[in-house]
Amino acid sequence: MKNQLRTIDLRLNQFDPLDRILLFDDFNTGLSGWTELIGNYEHTLDSVLLPYQDHRPPQLSSISMWDTGTVGALNGTYSLKVATRAKKGHQAVNIKRITFRKKCKMRLEAFFTFKPEATKLTLSDQSVRSIGFLFDLQNENERVMPHIRYLNSLEGTLEQKWQYKKQRSPFRSIGTEGKTVSHYHLSPEGWEDIPGGKQKLCYNEIATKHNWHYLRLDFDLDQMKYYELQCNEKIMNLSDIGLMRIPAMPNLWNMLNLVFFTEADEDRRVFFYLDSVLLTCEE
Amino acid sequence: MGSMRQYYSAVVERNVVFEEIFHSEPYEVGWATELIIFVRSLDGAGDGAVEVEISPDGIRWCKEGTTFELPTATDAVTFGKVSHFGNWVRLSGRTKKKFKALITFSMKE
Repeated sequence: MKNQLRTIDLRLNQFDPLDRILLFDDFNTGLSGWTELIGNYEHTLDSVLLPYQDHRPPQLSSISMWDTGTVGALNGTYSLKVATRAKKGHQAVNIKRITFRKKCKMRLEAFFTFKPEATKLTLSDQSVRSIGFLFDLQNENERVMPHIRYLNSLEGTLEQKWQYKKQRSPFRSIGTEGKTVSHYHLSPEGWEDIPGGKQKLCYNEIATKHNWHYLRLDFDLDQMKYYELQCNEKIMNLSDIGLMRIPAMPNLWNMLNLVFFTEADEDRRVFFYLDSVLLTCEE
Repeated sequence: MGSMRQYYSAVVERNVVFEEIFHSEPYEVGWATELIIFVRSLDGAGDGAVEVEISPDGIRWCKEGTTFELPTATDAVTFGKVSHFGNWVRLSGRTKKKFKALITFSMKE
């Protein structure tokens, strides 16, 4: 079946897909349902929890540089650009929302790169705090939120390691109707190192050179557990890694949300680019 | 991008208080040929105008020439139409009165 998929669409030859495609977005024909994550609100936008108020709209980027012009994507011209404001600690968060029809083993694959805005003629390899992704899933019993990030730099010190998060943030009531709550699951607290998760990625010397990286995560929707994380040639076993687990919520049945995010480590815009995102599952 | 023209709407600023001189975040619009920028007041009356700016690199900015007035009442909307803008656009403005706004970039291939 894998080979059949690769024959149907040659772009899939760059991936190692499972049997059935749940989503395949290469961003050369639009944003394909990717949008900005916003916190819940009631009656007024002022009721959105502060960290959720400004997660920035996704952009279709040609990655065009002041010194050498357009980088383009791994394939074609456009990639999804997740872009922060020029503010230390700011998070840009973009999301695609679908539902699952089978509790299967699923595989996320993507090609990505990240850089700060090329506003300085210096190395700038410590400007991006992190790039990461998460799923927001719910079955009959519980809501489960796998969170993974690559911590590149923290407070100006290179960290270069993969982390996960299982610590929950408290729910807060939103508005006055008693029907809406919100929790800031992307808070800076509670990130833990993935064992053996140190990895030096190719930054490549200056802010205007971009190298694409391969990412893969295997996750079991039936057991609600991680299998493996892969970035380039590094493979990390996640079978003992904990998850953010919450009792099922009233209107999220069969939810399968996928989120990509980035965080700035200085007062400078940082950009997380996705050439393509592929989610497949076992039949 | 195919026979049916692509459309995308980006809320480039939301629930942001503007006063005196301000700039929106830059946005990449290279795939589009038409752009309408809407400014909606969420609270208060602006008093001034905005100018569309374009850029070769998203860092250095020039005036594109399009200007329009700010909304002068809560929930009022004003707009400017732009075409032939290259890859980066932002909005630059000046207001004598503080107001809270939502800025939408409405793009078509």
